[in-house]
Amino acid sequence: MTTGFDLTIEEHLAILMSREVNDWETSACGALSFIPATAMLLGREMRAPNAEIIILGSRDYSPFVTGKDFHFHAQRGQLDLFFISAIEIDQHGNFNLHVIGDRDEPDVLMPGQYGTGMLYYAVPRIVMFRTEHTRRSFVDQVNYVSGAGTSPDGVSRRTREVKVITPMAKLNFNQESRIMELGSVHEGFSVDQVVENTGFNLGIQGEIDTTPQITEEEVHTLRTVVKSHMIDSETYPNEAANLIREP
Amino acid sequence: MGVPFTSTLGYAGTDILERRPDDFKIIENPFDSQERTVVAKAMNPDVAIFHGLKGDRLGNVLVQKHGEELLLAQASRRVIVTVEEIVNSVDFEDSDGWFIPAIHVSAVVHAPLGAHPTGVPGLYDADEDRINEYVKASGTDESFGKYLNRYVFEVGSHQQYLELVGLRPELEAVAR
Repeated sequence: MTTGFDLTIEEHLAILMSREVNDWETSACGALSFIPATAMLLGREMRAPNAEIIILGSRDYSPFVTGKDFHFHAQRGQLDLFFISAIEIDQHGNFNLHVIGDRDEPDVLMPGQYGTGMLYYAVPRIVMFRTEHTRRSFVDQVNYVSGAGTSPDGVSRRTREVKVITPMAKLNFNQESRIMELGSVHEGFSVDQVVENTGFNLGIQGEIDTTPQITEEEVHTLRTVVKSHMIDSETYPNEAANLIREP
Repeated sequence: MGVPFTSTLGYAGTDILERRPDDFKIIENPFDSQERTVVAKAMNPDVAIFHGLKGDRLGNVLVQKHGEELLLAQASRRVIVTVEEIVNSVDFEDSDGWFIPAIHVSAVVHAPLGAHPTGVPGLYDADEDRINEYVKASGTDESFGKYLNRYVFEVGSHQQYLELVGLRPELEAVAR
């Protein structure tokens, strides 16, 4: 990493994503979601003490008894922010969570995840993330559309803001043109590097902002309060112990 | 519910719909001509088979918590439940699991360790080696066919299956 804090990729993404968590809103992630879970807990410490946090499958942060209860809660419009990870993301805001390789003869077929195709419509703010920023992940057209960026005419959709956070940059989905655009580039990377590692046109016009710097307070809070809370509350305790560094 | 389909939010524009045109449609909302909605066809299996913790002679069963087995039982025409143990009476107050009344159950089968190679929380863990073997075998029709022959078709009984997979100590403790 290039920020001077020797951040793991997970720490870096969690800090950037924590800035999306707002007070008095309900933020949520699914199962097997260490990075978003960390981001939400850090966001609550740093900026949003009154944030409602849902971490599916956790002991302390999930009020739901079954997956169905959670999905129906989302369908009723009770969530404000949801985090989605993806294998591939394309220019049109589609994401692929299911197929690696050819869609008819896949190398790997991923299980589950069918709820995201609904959540991508049901939740007003979506933050997608990917642990690598490469041309194999940011593609012209995803191999399989697990979540659709654009909805057919007349189909109701609650989503009004979609962002993508990567180790290199932040992308914003333009709701007017329905095109994924470069929002800002993280410290230590150049616009050219982002362009080089993205498999589609990023619609760059004029100057691109630098993402606000990672602060010492964010890193310290993550590595002390958040890390020990995750271990104590058994919220991804092993990942917290291994992937968040010591202060 | 007994209805032919249900309306759902989302999914429009995905390959999930594209690939399963017989199960999903986008239709006009009959109550609002300005809106269209995805509808999903009702799934009513002829037979559902799932594993539970306890069963009694009347067909009441207790299944592990946090699943959707009750919904599955209600949707299916016949329901077979394999259970870890048969008891005199399954009590719907039993907090070890969730109660499914006999009215939804066609048959109860005594099958200790019946969830193998997956696990039952609190009783035994998933058998990771065997799960990996299953995943590997599922790569091609040929290897999966071999897997089925070895673990399903050529096995005469549940006991033979358990012997074939070689019980680990903690599994044997439960089996006794």
